[in-house]
Amino acid sequence: MFESIEHTIARLREQQYICDRKLATVAFLALQMQKPILIEGPAGVGKTELAKVVSAALGRSLIRLQCYGGLDEAHALYEWEYGKQLLYTQILRDKIGGLFEGIDGLREAVARLDLHEDVFFSERFLVRRPILQAIDSPDPVVLLIDELDRAEEQFEAFLLEVLSDFQVTVPEIGTVKAKTIPYVIITSNNTRDLSDALKRRCLHLFIDYPDEGRELEIVRLKVPALRELLAAQVVAVIRRLRALDLRKAPSISETLDWARALVLLDADALTPELLDETLHLLVKYERDTQRVNEQLAWIAEPIQAQPQSMSSEAALTPPQRPAEPDTNFLEQRRQEHAARYFTNYRGRTDGRTGGA
Amino acid sequence: MDAAINRFIFLLKQRGARISPAESLDAMQALARVALHERETARTVLRCTLIKDLRDLSMFEELFEQFFSLPKRAETAAPGDEPSPAAPDTTIQTPDAAAPATVGGQPDGDNAHEDALDIREYFDESQMVTHFNSHQDPHDFSLAEFGQNLVLSRRRELLDHAMQNALQVLKARRLKNASRAGELNFDEAIAALDADLIADAVTELLDELSDAEIDEGLLQKLSARLKGGIAQLPELLKRYLERELALRQQEAGRAARPARPRPDYRFTEQERREMTEIVQRLCRRMRGARSYRRRIGPQGRISVPLTLRRNMKYEGIPFQPVLTRHYDEKPRLVAICDVSLSVRNTARFMLHLVYNLQTLFEQVRSFAFVSDLVEISPYFDQLGIDDAIAAVFDGDLLDTEVDSNYGRALERFHNRHLAAVTAQTTVIILGDGRGNRNPPQVWALEAIRRRAKQLLWLSPESRGSWRMGSCDMPLYEPVCHHTEVVRNLRQLGEVTENLLRRSAIRP
Repeated sequence: MFESIEHTIARLREQQYICDRKLATVAFLALQMQKPILIEGPAGVGKTELAKVVSAALGRSLIRLQCYGGLDEAHALYEWEYGKQLLYTQILRDKIGGLFEGIDGLREAVARLDLHEDVFFSERFLVRRPILQAIDSPDPVVLLIDELDRAEEQFEAFLLEVLSDFQVTVPEIGTVKAKTIPYVIITSNNTRDLSDALKRRCLHLFIDYPDEGRELEIVRLKVPALRELLAAQVVAVIRRLRALDLRKAPSISETLDWARALVLLDADALTPELLDETLHLLVKYERDTQRVNEQLAWIAEPIQAQPQSMSSEAALTPPQRPAEPDTNFLEQRRQEHAARYFTNYRGRTDGRTGGA
Repeated sequence: MDAAINRFIFLLKQRGARISPAESLDAMQALARVALHERETARTVLRCTLIKDLRDLSMFEELFEQFFSLPKRAETAAPGDEPSPAAPDTTIQTPDAAAPATVGGQPDGDNAHEDALDIREYFDESQMVTHFNSHQDPHDFSLAEFGQNLVLSRRRELLDHAMQNALQVLKARRLKNASRAGELNFDEAIAALDADLIADAVTELLDELSDAEIDEGLLQKLSARLKGGIAQLPELLKRYLERELALRQQEAGRAARPARPRPDYRFTEQERREMTEIVQRLCRRMRGARSYRRRIGPQGRISVPLTLRRNMKYEGIPFQPVLTRHYDEKPRLVAICDVSLSVRNTARFMLHLVYNLQTLFEQVRSFAFVSDLVEISPYFDQLGIDDAIAAVFDGDLLDTEVDSNYGRALERFHNRHLAAVTAQTTVIILGDGRGNRNPPQVWALEAIRRRAKQLLWLSPESRGSWRMGSCDMPLYEPVCHHTEVVRNLRQLGEVTENLLRRSAIRP
C-alpha cells in the first residue's frame, strides 16, 4: 500500500523509479480512489515503466494488454473455446444420447436438452483474456493497458464497463464482478484523442521529458558506472537535441541506452568525435540526422564548456539556419505539376477539344 | 470548500473545458484524501481529476493561479519577507473559517453545526494548531492562503452582496461626477474600492454573524481570533473583491468576443456542436455499418455452413471450425468545392465537414476551385480549421474574385489529379454548376465517374432553378450517380449519412 504521497515517492524510488510529486500524487490517489490512471506523453518517458514499478512496489502481479489495430474483445476480455466445445459434444455423444432415453416427443427432448444447455456455456469453456484475468484474480493485480490509442475507438467502449464498475458482462453467463479491484494503468502515445467517456473515468496524467536535474538523477541511478562529468555532459547534450525540431526527440530510454553505450566504450569524457560516432543511438530518422549534423557545433557546446556553466536554465534555442528561399509548398507543387503536364501532354489528334 | 471548488469548476467550464459532474465529484473525493497542506498537491489533484485534455492545461494553470491566490500586497504580505506580516494573514483564517460556516447555517438554523463541522473536517484540529502556532513556516502560509480562498468563496452570496453594495455606492459617486459620465469602468472601480466601503461590508458581515445562532464555544474561539484578525479583514476582503472583479471582467470580455469584425468564416459554437454531432453519427455509422461480405480468418464467429462443409471428411464431426468476420470498409474521399461567392456559405460547411471527416476515411483529399483549381488538403493538415478555411476564402491560394469556371476546373482536376480517384474513392463535388457560359467540359466529369466508386454532386440551388440562366447542371446531372440539394448543415449531414450507408452496404 502507498500510505501517503511521500511514501509513494519513496516506494517507487526503491524500485529505481524517480518520479516527481505530481506523478506520485496521481499514483497515490489512484490506489486510494480505486480509479484507473490514464497516462499520456511522448514515447519513452517511462509510462509503461511506471506500471512495472507500481506492480513491484505493491507486490502485485502485472497483467499486460498490448493494444494494436484490430484488437477486439475476443483478445482483450474473453472468448469462447469453440474447439473445446465441439470436441466435448462429440466425445459426450453417448452421454447425450443417454439423456434422451424414454423420451418420445421432440418438444420434450428439446425441453430436456434445455436443462443442460448451460453446461456448454459455463466458465469451463471460457478463455480468459487479460482484462477478465485481472478482474477475476483472487489477489489484486496491476493491469496495464498499453498504448490504447493504437486500438480502434470501438474497443474503448468495451473498456468502459470494466473501468467504471470493474465488471465484465458475458451474455451467456452473466456479469462477472471483480473479486479484487485491480490497479489499472492505461497509456497512450497521444496519436489520437481518446473518447471523453473514457477520459472521464480516469485520473489523467501527462508525463513529459524530465527537467535537467531529474534526468541527471535518473541517469546516475540507472547507469551507476557512468562517470559524473560524463553524465552531466550526456544530459546537457540530450537537452540540446530535444530543443531542435526533430521528428523523434530522444527519450529517456534512449538517453539511458546512450549512457550504457558510453560506458561500454569506456569513454572518459564526451568529445565531438565520440558524439558524432554514437549519434545513431539517439537519432532515428534520416531527416533528423541531417538536422543534427547542421547544428552539431551548437550541440557540442556543453562538451567544451565547463560543467558548471550548464546550469543556466535559459530557454534553449538553436541558432537560426541560413534563411532559405521562402517558397510556398503549394506553389512549388503547382509549378511541378504544370511542368509535368506540359511535358507529358501529347496533344489531341482527333480534333476535339478536351481530353479522353 | 465544495462551493469554492464548484465555482472553480464553473469558471473552468466557462473557459471551454469539458467537465462532467462525475469528474467534479472525483475532484472533491480526491481532495478529501490528500492533506491540503500544500498548494501544489491541491493543484495536481484538481488537474488530474478535472483536466483530461492537454489543450486545456494552460488555461487550467492560469485560472488556478488566479483563483487560488489573492493578489499580493507588494509592500507587506510578501510571505518570505518577515514572519510578522504573514502572521496576521494566517490568523484571519479562523474567524473566516468559522464565520462563513456559522452564517451558512442562517437560512436553516439546523445546518449551522453541520457546516461548521464540515469546515473543521478539512482543517482538523491538529492542522489548525500548527497553523496558528508556527506562522513562520512558509508552507503553512500557503495552506492558509488556499484555505482562505476556499472559505471566502464559500460565502459567495454574502460577499457578492457586499460587493454590489460597494459598487452601487461607486455608481452613485460616478453619477455626481458629470464630466465622466458613461460606463462604469472596472479598473477605476477597483481603485476606488475605498477602505470605508470595505469597512461597511465588513460591518455587515459581522452583523449577520452576530444575528446567527452560534455555538458558544465556537463564538469564543472566534472572538479570540477576531481581535487579531479584524484589522486585516478589510484588506483581505478587498483583495478578494479585486480578484473577483478581475475574473468577472474576463468573463465579460469573453462574452463580448464573438462579435468580432470577421465573423463570416468563424464557426459559432452551435455550428460546431452540430458538426460534431454529424461527425459522431457518421462515425458510428462508419464503424457500425459493415460490408456484407465475410472473410475467413483466425478470429470471428463460427460459420456453420463453412464448418460443416470443411468437416465433411471427418463424418461431419467439426474438428476444424471455420471462423469468419465482417470487415469494415473505409472509403476514400475526394471533395471538390466551388468557393466562389454564390456557394460560399455551403462551401464553408462542406469544408468543415471534410476537415472533420479526415479521421474517418482512409484518405481525404480536398480541392477548391473558382476558375483555377488547387489542392487544399495540406493546409487542412497544418492549420486549424478556421485558419485553413479563411486562407481558402481570402484568396491566398487562388483568385476568388473571378467568375467561376466549372469546365476549366474539372479539366484541371482531370489532368492533374485524376490519380487521386480510385475504385474505392467517393468523389463529392460541391457547386451550383453555373459556369458563366464557359465550356462545361462534361467529358472530364465522365472520366472522373468512370474511375470513381461514386460521384456525388451537391448543389445549394433547388432543382427548379437548374434550368434557368446559364446553369450547366442539366448537363452534369445525368453523369453523376446522385445529385442532392444541400442548403444547410442538417441537410449536409443527412446526405453524407446516406452516402456512407450506401457505401457501407454495397460492397
